[in-house]
Amino acid sequence: MATSIRLYLTCIRNTLEAALCLQNFPCQEVERHNKPEVEMKTSPELLLNPILVCRNEAEKCLIETSINSLRISLKVKQADELENILTKKFLRFLSMRAEAFQVLRRKPVQLQGLSIVISEESWVKVVAGHVHVVIPKLPCDGFCVDIDKEISELKMSVNTRGRLVATEFLKQFT
Amino acid sequence: MACFERVSPALKEILLKLYRAEKPLEIDHHMYEFGSVEYLVQSSAADPQHNYLSISTPLLSQGALLSDGLSSYTTQMVKQVCSDAVEVVEPAKEGYQLTLKLNFAKVPRGKDCEKVITQISSVQAVILSSQLKEMLRNVNSQDPSQRMNKPIKLVYHPREPFYVIRQPQKITAVFPMRFKEHSDVIIATAFFQELMDVGSSEKWAKAPPCTWSPIPPPELRGETLEDLSTNGGFVSFDISSHHVEGKKLDKTVWSLLNFYAYVKNHVKCTRGFIQRRMQKRLESLVEVLHKEKLEENGAVKKVKAYAECSYVGKLVRLSKPKNFKRRCRDLTRKIKQIRFRIKIHGFRRFRRRWLTFPKFSSPLGYTKLE
Repeated sequence: MATSIRLYLTCIRNTLEAALCLQNFPCQEVERHNKPEVEMKTSPELLLNPILVCRNEAEKCLIETSINSLRISLKVKQADELENILTKKFLRFLSMRAEAFQVLRRKPVQLQGLSIVISEESWVKVVAGHVHVVIPKLPCDGFCVDIDKEISELKMSVNTRGRLVATEFLKQFT
Repeated sequence: MACFERVSPALKEILLKLYRAEKPLEIDHHMYEFGSVEYLVQSSAADPQHNYLSISTPLLSQGALLSDGLSSYTTQMVKQVCSDAVEVVEPAKEGYQLTLKLNFAKVPRGKDCEKVITQISSVQAVILSSQLKEMLRNVNSQDPSQRMNKPIKLVYHPREPFYVIRQPQKITAVFPMRFKEHSDVIIATAFFQELMDVGSSEKWAKAPPCTWSPIPPPELRGETLEDLSTNGGFVSFDISSHHVEGKKLDKTVWSLLNFYAYVKNHVKCTRGFIQRRMQKRLESLVEVLHKEKLEENGAVKKVKAYAECSYVGKLVRLSKPKNFKRRCRDLTRKIKQIRFRIKIHGFRRFRRRWLTFPKFSSPLGYTKLE
């Protein structure tokens, strides 16, 4: 892995480790309700300053923290037109099937990419039970690298297919 | 407008059915293919030897060639398909460009019959390709009347026109590419770039040089703006004389006619491929979470199983009185057995004294006064 991306991912990981200190906190507005404050933003005193980690203009990660929830928004790099449509397709595909991931947001926030909301409840129930599994799959090394890798592999496959089809077409003339 | 297969499978099936029928059939089939190709197959039981096949196919709607009928070259090509069994009927039926009279009696028997019927079923492809073939045959023509640098617009399908430009020693075919969706444009553009790369390599030196540009080539200068506005750019093939020699002519013509269909098929397949790949990736990403869930479920099941065991224990404990009752019943039965089978001296008196319930007189009953 290149040094620059390692630094970027380490920075995200460290920020997340610091930010993931969530606790159960009932809603201050509605009785017997427990809502993710990072989404509702009802009480400013429960929100922390958002952190934007940027590798470059195309690759960014916005981490918004509150007392009982955390929201991570990712912008994945899109070097050219083909990568752009592949990234859009892939992220849309994931967002449409958000229920499979439990923490994925259906609609990305701010950065046109992917958003993940971790509430205290999901953190305790889903994540804390198997930290060793989920942590690498969270938008630290694992998830980011996975998406990048998948998109570059897709791009390569599309180009390879194109080359094969072009070869087959030109074969007809010989 | 063309498809990959020259033979129409539906037409072939109908003609084979007609040919193989033991009794003469009364058939009047009217069918469409690809939205614009129309076939009419007619067969009369009264005259089984003569069957009629009428075809209507999009022809060149614009250009120097015939636009309202078939050229003599096309008719000649159709006649060559199967000269014995096929006869061109003139004039053709109303609404159709060509009517053929098929005499199945002249179709050779045995294995060759299928070959002949396959040839008849590919008549539409012959009509389609003959017009372009006629143009490409004249690449090396020195006749000044054949030389013209003005692009000829060939419209087989209203949305898929292409241009043929006759130049000295070569003919250039230019395809303006249009797509409905932006993602299709990107996939197609990647394909065109690959086509250019592959075509420029030494291995494919014999293939016609291919160029792609997002702007119209200079040869199309003067064409209407509507025709030159595309979202996928322009693909050009330079066809020289060695591409149209002998049997190569047929292949070249068919490849050019199929170019639109080929690109669209590639785009469609690539989209499907991307979708399948994403589905696989999603499954692998979710698999980790599901494994954990399964493990959790396993643990829950274990706990449940343990709970069930303890419940059974409880049941065992609760069923003690039942066991006692059962034992009492067994004992009574044994006693009965003893009573009936084994005779012990003095036991009857013992039983009457100790093993019978005492009879109590009811307070509501009455006692007989003596």
